[in-house]
Amino acid sequence: MVEAGRMSSEMPQNAPTVIPQEWREEFEAAARRPLPLRMRYAFIHTYKPVLDDAPFRAWDSTADYRRWCEENLPGWLGYGSV
Amino acid sequence: MAAFEYRQAEEIREKFAAHGIRYLFLGKSGAILLGFPDTTQDADLYIERTAENCRALAVALHELGFALTPEQTAEIERGKDFIQLKNGPFDLDLVFAPDGIERFDDAWRRRVEVEGFPVCHLDDIIASKAATNRQKDRESLPRLRSFRDWWLQQKR
Repeated sequence: MVEAGRMSSEMPQNAPTVIPQEWREEFEAAARRPLPLRMRYAFIHTYKPVLDDAPFRAWDSTADYRRWCEENLPGWLGYGSV
Repeated sequence: MAAFEYRQAEEIREKFAAHGIRYLFLGKSGAILLGFPDTTQDADLYIERTAENCRALAVALHELGFALTPEQTAEIERGKDFIQLKNGPFDLDLVFAPDGIERFDDAWRRRVEVEGFPVCHLDDIIASKAATNRQKDRESLPRLRSFRDWWLQQKR
């Protein structure tokens, strides 16, 4: 599956977590599936109000994008900051 | 609009390679390429913001079937920080300055290749999601962190 990976001392550090058994089993099951099948299961499409209503949007900064999401998208979509 | 498919990812990979575009799959779409079992709606691409790369990207997107106006093409060529495309054969988010990752070159050095797809390292994907501080990312981060640990164990 994974052909190559490069680790670096500059990499952000993440402390190891305890992996719940249920998740571990899901990870192992996914690893047994070929990539096209994993993608078929993973990519879904449902209509997202406002977000899907324009064919093209561009923001000068990522902060502008985040602000636009906060101000324009329904909260239940989850794009608002915590 | 149908869901993003493997065949479309292949089209991106081949077209972008033909134009020499430097990019990385980022976000949950990147994690899924690395094996993370979860769902998402679109593909996020982290694009290196150089004039040459952005010009090539605009050409490649036209060739992939995105209906870009001259003004939209110019915005891509300028490499605006965040661009959402829903005017092509699939939805794409183009990210030129993701939260939590300082430089493209750093992410490029740490990348992982999966069937020829260049993907951000899981630590970069996690850093980016953590930095956004969005509700939907907060909810997915514990499972994504667990997947990172499991994934690193498999690589040893």
